[in-house]
Amino acid sequence: MKCLVIVPAYNEEENIVRVIENLKKNYPTYDYVVINDGSSDNTAGLCRRMDYELIDLPVNLGLAGAFQTGLKYAYRQGYDYAIQFDADGQHRPEFIGAMLDKIQEGYDIVIGSRFVTKKKPHSLRMLGSNLISIATRITTGRRVKDPTSGMRMFNKKMIAEFALNLNYGPEPDTISYLLKQGATIAEVQVEMDERVAGESYLNLSRSVMYMMRMLLSILFIQNFRKRREVKVR
Amino acid sequence: MTPIFRILLIVVSLFTTYYILKRIRQSKLQIEYAIFWILFSGVLIVFSLFPWLVSLFTRMIGMQLPVNFIFLLFIFVLMVKLFFMTIELSTLENKVKDLTQELALEEKERRDEQKRLLEETGPAKDTEAEVID
Repeated sequence: MKCLVIVPAYNEEENIVRVIENLKKNYPTYDYVVINDGSSDNTAGLCRRMDYELIDLPVNLGLAGAFQTGLKYAYRQGYDYAIQFDADGQHRPEFIGAMLDKIQEGYDIVIGSRFVTKKKPHSLRMLGSNLISIATRITTGRRVKDPTSGMRMFNKKMIAEFALNLNYGPEPDTISYLLKQGATIAEVQVEMDERVAGESYLNLSRSVMYMMRMLLSILFIQNFRKRREVKVR
Repeated sequence: MTPIFRILLIVVSLFTTYYILKRIRQSKLQIEYAIFWILFSGVLIVFSLFPWLVSLFTRMIGMQLPVNFIFLLFIFVLMVKLFFMTIELSTLENKVKDLTQELALEEKERRDEQKRLLEETGPAKDTEAEVID
């Protein structure tokens, strides 16, 4: 059983060393790889100096492209499971174990969810999360409590499917689409930290665009997609 | 708006939507790019189903004919879209250039490195190096 922790990093020089050191020191059983997404700061240089496992993209591809690079690597190296893990320190490695246990029960995707046993706080961000939950519920009839959580683990079949297809970004609309297609998805309660340094990608206008894209995609576009399943060796 | 014009609008917008969805279905179009066109054809459908909306806007800005308002609106929207596409194209071209250069430089550096190793270990392992490459 091999599990790969994929850490996409875009301009994370303030966080990357702390995050990877924590992962390496406390959880040496997991393999990891940093995907530097064409950062303009010294993220790649730091990783080289510290001799981290690094895939250095020469141009910026965006989160979907960077994460897919990690999944392609996992696919080629024959990993059984892969997990998306933020480079900004929001995700905590102590919950990877619980997610691994869950996915070995036979799920396709396990989401590290903030709201399985805990209640959602009321904020603008959570309003967005709720809207996406409702849209997912309408199209699939299933409840995903934390659809925007970036901490997601995939099994071998999903790794192949994500690695080789178009329109498989690590976003809630892909989750909704796969649910509709009969993929099995579970949620495991995790805790997340606030970002310590650096700036969040989401500002107001980006958030509005993101919400519009997600809702239109989940409620409308995903219903017309045809699935191309990938046979796993 | 004449009934024929309305029907034409409805048919065109439905066809556009159908075509976009077909391309997504065939996995040939990224959803990010489809969203603009789906919204665009959505507006077309709304305008053809509720022409009083168009008349309202037309009167609001003091134009004579609703058709003119539609022309003006769509020309403007398409111009903006075209401009953003030019920016995207330029970014894309730059990325392809960077990638090509990166690949070529990597390859050159790798060959240099190999040549250096070969000189250090002597020419005896010449054939072996060929195989590795």
